[in-house]
Amino acid sequence: MTRALAAALPRPAFLGEVAKLPAFLRRDFLVAWSYRVGFFSDIASLIAQMLVFFFIGKMIDSSSLPEYGGVHPSYLEFVTIGVVLNAFVQVALSRTADALRTEQMIGTLEALMTTPTATATIQLGSAVFDLVYMPLRLVVFLVFMTVAVGIDVEISGGLPSLVVLIAFLPFVWGLGLAAAAAILTFRRGGGVIAVGTMLLGLASGAFFPLDLLPAWIAAAAEYNPLAIAIEGFRDALLGGTGWSGVGDHLVLLFPISTLSIIGGSVLFHLALSRERRRGTLGLY
Amino acid sequence: MTPSFAIRVPPGAADLPGRADETRSPLRAAPEPAALEAASVTRRFGDVLALDGVSLAVTRGEVHALLGPNGAGKTTLLRAFTGLVAPTSGAVRVIGRDASRADRWLRALTGFVPSGDRTFYLRLSGYENLKFFARLHALPRRDRTARTLTTLERVGLADSAHRPVSTYSHGMQKRLSLARALLMNPSVMLIDEATHDLDPAASSEVRSVVEELAQEGTAILWATQRIDEIRGFASSVTLLAEGRVRFAGSVQELMARADAPRFVLGVRSTGGVDAEALNATLGGSATIAPVDAQHVLLTLGPETLLGDAMCAMTRAGAAVVSCNRERSEIEQAFVALTAGAGE
Repeated sequence: MTRALAAALPRPAFLGEVAKLPAFLRRDFLVAWSYRVGFFSDIASLIAQMLVFFFIGKMIDSSSLPEYGGVHPSYLEFVTIGVVLNAFVQVALSRTADALRTEQMIGTLEALMTTPTATATIQLGSAVFDLVYMPLRLVVFLVFMTVAVGIDVEISGGLPSLVVLIAFLPFVWGLGLAAAAAILTFRRGGGVIAVGTMLLGLASGAFFPLDLLPAWIAAAAEYNPLAIAIEGFRDALLGGTGWSGVGDHLVLLFPISTLSIIGGSVLFHLALSRERRRGTLGLY
Repeated sequence: MTPSFAIRVPPGAADLPGRADETRSPLRAAPEPAALEAASVTRRFGDVLALDGVSLAVTRGEVHALLGPNGAGKTTLLRAFTGLVAPTSGAVRVIGRDASRADRWLRALTGFVPSGDRTFYLRLSGYENLKFFARLHALPRRDRTARTLTTLERVGLADSAHRPVSTYSHGMQKRLSLARALLMNPSVMLIDEATHDLDPAASSEVRSVVEELAQEGTAILWATQRIDEIRGFASSVTLLAEGRVRFAGSVQELMARADAPRFVLGVRSTGGVDAEALNATLGGSATIAPVDAQHVLLTLGPETLLGDAMCAMTRAGAAVVSCNRERSEIEQAFVALTAGAGE
């Protein structure tokens, strides 16, 4: 088979699209690396935040916190898991939502849309760097807290936590797509996303036990995917419960994540079709 | 040695005209449809009618100028061909396929140079930007680097390939935009105000690249408001104003639509220019209007030769020391055909 003929043969569309994702990853890494100060200040701000909780933790009796694997964690251990996952949602959600908006603002969206690339690939591609970077950032931060501050983390809980994170990721992405649809349509949405993530965080048990909330909110919060993911992480990493501790959380997370990604994709597709129909895709 | 690059052909497009099919089969029995075709295209944005029943056709190897003042609808028509804007009514076809469906395979055969400057990632180099778009075009890895460098060289950006685009001038960004469109040897090229920010030498270079492409068989739709550049470059013209076609035909036919030619003459005369006396001398074959003490505006009648008019003026004591055409024929036709637009 000649090279020309091989090149002329159509590649399976799905694989062809997947093969384009590393291009986005490289692009966004190079852009992020060109802002080195931002790269490191991001981690520094997270560490500064933890210093605040370190001192707050000195006032809190650990027996008032829930047990994980039969042990009461310290407040710093308790809140570290909550803060990293909450920060993960905040950043991943806003960046997924803003991915196409950013392309629109810097003027590259139409150039991308005139390439033979599926819209879903452009959307995912524009967020893929953050979807890879954010979990890495989470892991790096947990390692830092373990080594530098001495929080007690069960190494055996690493893999189950990772699976919880993988099950949780489509929920964030779906929510991001829905937010992206709103931003494409209304050209604004940062404020709504900020309020939404704050409410999600408030009812997640990230900073304090859910029992402290009014009973009806606490009952509803049991189904908050962020709360489920945080509890899964705490069970695995603080309680050392292994796979048995995360099973229940995964059973809840998978359907919610599936619904989120399907709903978000439909809304995003509708918003994009509307923009195309109106001819306002490149306008901001 | 110039590297060769195979072009991936969309399924079902093998029998269609364009450059890509040449790598497949040199035989074509069926008559060629237009590579770019708009049929009674109307596009409305709210109350604004951006395009009103526009039709045009561009065949392969043709440079077709889309001429018009600001707001004429040129960009909207180009965007309709890329699938970024769907027509309200009418049809846009690229290589016989409906462009409004934004067919991915069609996009692989279409090069687009948008009018805006900021269509690149400014923190990345020109090379990294092009390579990124080459990957989105699914250019095979083995050809990607060579193709990117060759294309940068073709548009004269080889020396600044590794500089961030943020350090590029407007003209360089425009050439980079042209390079991006050239990456895949497109069958059709849609070029929006490509020479807007370029100096005359750079404009000429860009036109040379585009002419080469046309000679290789690419259909070019070149939107511009620089009327001086289409003579000797475009083979056909569609003149748009307020979203409607005011003229469609060859450049020569457009020039023939110019009003009576007018010249600004520098005149040396003892005692100043007496326009009334000169008009009397010319006897209605041409008219003279004073501009200032040393210049007059000469408007020739339909049968009058410039030389005859100048001789008559010299005989009347007004020595003509310089002569400049007030506007080119194309400019005159443009002004005449778009008169009233935008009012």
